[in-house]
Amino acid sequence: MIWINNVAGYGLKNIDIKGIVIICGNYGSGKTETAVNLAIKRKRDGIDVKIADLDLVNPYFRTREARVLLESLGVSVILPDRQYMHADLPILAPAVAGMIQQPSELTILDAGGDDVGVTVLAALENHLSKKKVHMLQVVNPYRPFTEEVKGCIRIKEEIEATSKMKITGLVGNANLIDETLPEHIYKGYDLLKELSLETGLKIEFITACSNIISQLELDRFSCPVLEIERKMNPPWKRLRNKGV
Amino acid sequence: MAKVLMKGNEAIGEAAIRAGCLNYFAYPITPQSEVAEYLAKRMPEVGGVFLQGESEVAVGYMIFGAAGCGERVMTTSSSPGISLMSEALSYIAAAQCPAVFVNIMRGGPGLGGILPSQGDYFQAVKGGGHGDYHLLVFAPDGVQEAVEMTMNAFTLAEKYRGPVMILGDGMIGQMMEPVEFPDNLKSEPSNKDAWATSGMDKRKSDKRNLVRSLFLDPTELNANNLALKAKYVQMKKEEILYEGYNTDLDYKVLIVSYGTMSRVCKTSIDMMKEEGIEVGLLRPRTLFPFPEEAIFKAATRESCKAVISIEMSMGQMVEDVERCVRGQRKVDFYGECGGDIPTPEKIIEVVKGLL
Repeated sequence: MIWINNVAGYGLKNIDIKGIVIICGNYGSGKTETAVNLAIKRKRDGIDVKIADLDLVNPYFRTREARVLLESLGVSVILPDRQYMHADLPILAPAVAGMIQQPSELTILDAGGDDVGVTVLAALENHLSKKKVHMLQVVNPYRPFTEEVKGCIRIKEEIEATSKMKITGLVGNANLIDETLPEHIYKGYDLLKELSLETGLKIEFITACSNIISQLELDRFSCPVLEIERKMNPPWKRLRNKGV
Repeated sequence: MAKVLMKGNEAIGEAAIRAGCLNYFAYPITPQSEVAEYLAKRMPEVGGVFLQGESEVAVGYMIFGAAGCGERVMTTSSSPGISLMSEALSYIAAAQCPAVFVNIMRGGPGLGGILPSQGDYFQAVKGGGHGDYHLLVFAPDGVQEAVEMTMNAFTLAEKYRGPVMILGDGMIGQMMEPVEFPDNLKSEPSNKDAWATSGMDKRKSDKRNLVRSLFLDPTELNANNLALKAKYVQMKKEEILYEGYNTDLDYKVLIVSYGTMSRVCKTSIDMMKEEGIEVGLLRPRTLFPFPEEAIFKAATRESCKAVISIEMSMGQMVEDVERCVRGQRKVDFYGECGGDIPTPEKIIEVVKGLL
């Protein structure tokens, strides 16, 4: 399936998202993995990409872990100062406001989980309110509290109330990491369609890990599929994936 | 039940609920705060209680209170928080009350850092609190095992009427893995009429129960300590858990490692196998009781020339490994304890240095 690697995005449509994109969603829904892979994909498409880690909630597995890779690909990464990298403190790099004022062709803000994780957006309200912003909710129905549409809507409303912003689109990230099967992705897509119908929100794209994407019947999806090459790995998997 | 994707911390919280625990008291600390966050949402859904104490000292005694009443109860914390609870742990052990303590270890000593560590081996296995007592200590290496050990912990806490500890490092708490919750691990609560201060209304006898750790009569105190000792002897007979990896082949080096560190070691062992180098791993799954005989046997296999304890500490479990090997092989140590988990390449370099 060599040809598939030459296609810039899978499914019937390509991901052509531009502008300021905020990635939010419930805790552990896969925001960072989605944000990092979206950044890489769009950079490979040839557009300028900046990404900021706004995750002030989660102490492990943050965008900062993919910093070296992202920078080597030419993606600008905005993180707190190195000396505070492992501080258990809510530090918002001043450069984030700057990147919103002068955005790249694609500017990704990787927010933290749940309503707590987007509190930071309210602090950036002055800067964000003047811009057109895509605010994407990432949903993994195999995570607690978002197994059903009802739970997804509750998270959506909590995020909107705290961030003082409206969610504008959905991202399906159905997975069980290494144990993901095509049926999990199909089931996740079905739930996302229901959620889309209920909320009127567009499905921007869904994701699928590179090891499973060739097994998917892509014509089942009316949205693009973002290929995920996992970057947030525990150390015993890092070496095995060093080619990624 | 279908699998779900959970963080270790969330899964430990859910496992407690599935095991029938309706009492959870805790104080937030990274990297275990998600347990409290998860149970703050879940406990009300099942009619349980989550109460945040004003400190870990208070939480320790909230656990003692609930356990003394015969309730299934759990707390979770991370290293410095467990230090604060250690007085209560000693009291709970002395008073022979069942309770589950979870330590999602961070770097120490002192405030240390928030990244993974195994620096609390001594604290968990050798005491922490004062006096002659032990905790039954489970050391999971992933989220599924953390679930199963947590569910079992409630059963065993009641079997031995004492505190049981789940000792996981920060990585166990923070990483996500697919998990399921086996129904068969939920046990019926034991009959606590003989000892718990659960109130007289539902009890058949008129005997008044007293939960205490103060025994001013020396004979009585000695008898209580002998009763505790008898439990630890029984644990050594019945509760030891361990895993061997690549131990059915003629390995030249035996690694002893537990928790997430052992998973890095497994990756190293697979990689060395590709080079034609056989290395075995003995992973203790209980740290107390410790798999003494299993380690002795694995270390003294004829092909085995060297033993090494690999830990995210400055050398704690290695003392027990040395004790188990009884001088039959040289026991080396490698460890890091800043929060960066050693890489498979580093482990390979260290092991090759022993060949």
